[in-house]
Amino acid sequence: MPLKGKLTLVTGSGRGIGRAIALKLASQGSDIIVNFFRRREAAEKTAKDIVALGVKAEVIRANVGDPAKLDEMFDTIATKFGHLDILINNAASGVGRSVLDVDIKAWDWTMNINARAFLLCAQRAAKLMEGRGGKMVSITSLGSSFVLPSYAVVGISKAALEALTRYLAIELAPEGICVNAVAASAVETEALKFYIREGLMKDIRQATPAGRMVIPEDVANVVAFLCSEEAFMIRGQTVVVDGGTSVAPFITAEKEERR
Amino acid sequence: MSVEEEMKEIVAQIVHVDKSVLTREGSLRKDIKADSLDIVQAMVAVEDKFDIEIPDEEAQKFQNFGDFVDYVERRVAEKEKV
Ligand SMILES: NC(=O)c1ccc[n+]([C@@H]2O[C@H](COP(=O)([O-])OP(=O)(O)OC[C@H]3O[C@@H](n4cnc5c(N)ncnc54)[C@H](OP(=O)(O)O)[C@@H]3O)[C@@H](O)[C@H]2O)c1
Repeated sequence: MPLKGKLTLVTGSGRGIGRAIALKLASQGSDIIVNFFRRREAAEKTAKDIVALGVKAEVIRANVGDPAKLDEMFDTIATKFGHLDILINNAASGVGRSVLDVDIKAWDWTMNINARAFLLCAQRAAKLMEGRGGKMVSITSLGSSFVLPSYAVVGISKAALEALTRYLAIELAPEGICVNAVAASAVETEALKFYIREGLMKDIRQATPAGRMVIPEDVANVVAFLCSEEAFMIRGQTVVVDGGTSVAPFITAEKEERR
Repeated sequence: MSVEEEMKEIVAQIVHVDKSVLTREGSLRKDIKADSLDIVQAMVAVEDKFDIEIPDEEAQKFQNFGDFVDYVERRVAEKEKV
């Protein structure tokens, strides 16, 4: 139980990758704060599954894109627990559009939830980690460095998130707080089905050198490693979890051609 | 102002339509052509206005604007009771 007695906040952990991360860290002994936005039932279910692992779970609703709601969440954490050991910035939203179709509303919505939320969460979390150190891990995607269809504003927000990760890592290094990110390629979740068709899912599966698609647990395992003491010297990095896709573009194309 | 009138104002402002096009029978998505971002923003604005929570699990059941209004009226009445 490497995380026994620790307290972790996972934003957007009612479902998908956030849920898998919450369960993984809970299985390592950490108490978990499950944050959600719209799906209360899913969040309650995750909390129940966490408690079944023998640790404590607290459900807090907050739209991380709304600074007032974010503050309320951290006020609750400060009053109830008085500290925080791990912050997982996972919640994300976005509008699937091409660059020329991105309007101000779509830009603000996506940037506020995906990038600004981490700034504000990290500022509040750093205070709760004072004198005890901590870990912060953000979940990002290959869309920060590569152009994906209809992913413009989300990809841009993820690029901001990764840059923020580097700056925070250096500023918080003297406080014993490790800040890193995990970038995944397409992960089999509900969110993905919203962006792409089943046919494309099959193509991605076949094109991944590791032979299958990334699943939420793959991401959760790397997050857990970054939250462990073994990862103490890793700072400001974005670790890619993609089964090899991004380093083998030509092999991927060749495979496609052979089909 | 009634709950319905206040909701019309909020939604009209977010979706950029005139209040008069919002009818109980109309669907925000199909008739008003609101996109998913408009709808979430309208939900959130209504929640903030009336200090209630509208979980997605409930919102998914709304067939038209009238269902949305009925749900909010019910929640507001419940809140006033306590
Ligand atoms: N799926 C992929 O292919 C993929 C690939 C690479 C990276 N990622 C990243 O992995 C993370 C998780 O994605 P996912 O696929 O698990 O997404 P998902 O299944 O759509 O879940 C998104 C989660 O974020 C929460 N959320 C959304 N907006 C929020 C807000 N404003 N405030 C608080 N919570 C909010 C949702 O809460 P509710 O349940 O209450 O709605 C939900 O728990 C994201 O950062 C995403 O960009 C995903």
